[in-house]
Amino acid sequence: MRGTLVAGLLMAACLSTACVAAAAEIGRIKSVAGAAAVVRGKTVIPAAAGQLLQVSDVLRTGRDGRIGVTFVDNSRFAVGPSSTIALSAFEFDDTTHAGRSLTTVNRGSLAVISGQIAHENKDAMRVRTPTSLLAARGTRFVVRVGP
Amino acid sequence: MRRRAILALCATAALAGCASSRVALLSGEAGAPAGAVAVLDAAGGAERGQLTQSNTEARLDGGAVRPYPLTANFDALLSAMPPPPQVFTLYFTDGVTLAPESVTTLDQLRRIVTGASDVQITGHTDTVGDAASNDKLSLDRATQVREALVQQGLPVANARVTGRGEREPRVLTPDDTSQPLNRRVEVIVR
Repeated sequence: MRGTLVAGLLMAACLSTACVAAAAEIGRIKSVAGAAAVVRGKTVIPAAAGQLLQVSDVLRTGRDGRIGVTFVDNSRFAVGPSSTIALSAFEFDDTTHAGRSLTTVNRGSLAVISGQIAHENKDAMRVRTPTSLLAARGTRFVVRVGP
Repeated sequence: MRRRAILALCATAALAGCASSRVALLSGEAGAPAGAVAVLDAAGGAERGQLTQSNTEARLDGGAVRPYPLTANFDALLSAMPPPPQVFTLYFTDGVTLAPESVTTLDQLRRIVTGASDVQITGHTDTVGDAASNDKLSLDRATQVREALVQQGLPVANARVTGRGEREPRVLTPDDTSQPLNRRVEVIVR
């Protein structure tokens, strides 16, 4: 009886976006050029193609660095040189496509091609800069934050 | 007076990027519509304005959104953008039986998928039956396709499988309508 209940709870958790968060992978690094790293908590990991990304990871590039990223909702990023970009929030239910994301551009440049989160949830794909909050409405755009 | 106040604000915020933060809307990829980017108030989320024309740009200085023609060139930045995901669609005669014409698609996949590929397998149904049973059927189809691909020697044992049920028909139909084009599984290679 108790076993059934626990299984039921686990199933309920997996039907919600929590399951995606628990599974941890929100995207992958597809390409790296120059100096580039993923900062996870206090750990600095050199960026490499194929690397899995999690919520709260920070993408950091040096003066010659660039990173290409794909996300599980089919959105894509190109991170330019001298950039610090945090994957602050990412929730996505791949059955219903409900979800939201927040990316913080602290400095540098970021090109974005939106995916299923923006497609199915109004203003749910957001990018924060030091002065503004942007909402993708199905689109390809570039954010630059100067030094 | 007002201008001086704004300048002072920007001076104090310069370290935080006030001086030169901008957003640019590009044309959609491969001829897709440009869409739009909304600029919201950083604190409250109220809309300050939006970019709706491709190849325009606006400063993000906390004030009104005033778009101007884009002069910067983002070719270097966009060279780091990964290519769009490739989608391969397999069709089903009924239940989980693969339609004969989908065998060539399977061959294409065999050529393209490697151990380094990021693969997602998403099942879809037509509108026959209720939504809950179609969720299950679509997930069953996706799971079966993954097993079939693994048996064919493709390294996709860890691919994500998803069932979208009847939410995303390829052809719009009324409820309870048999439609072979909607009974399908998409293999998405990122």
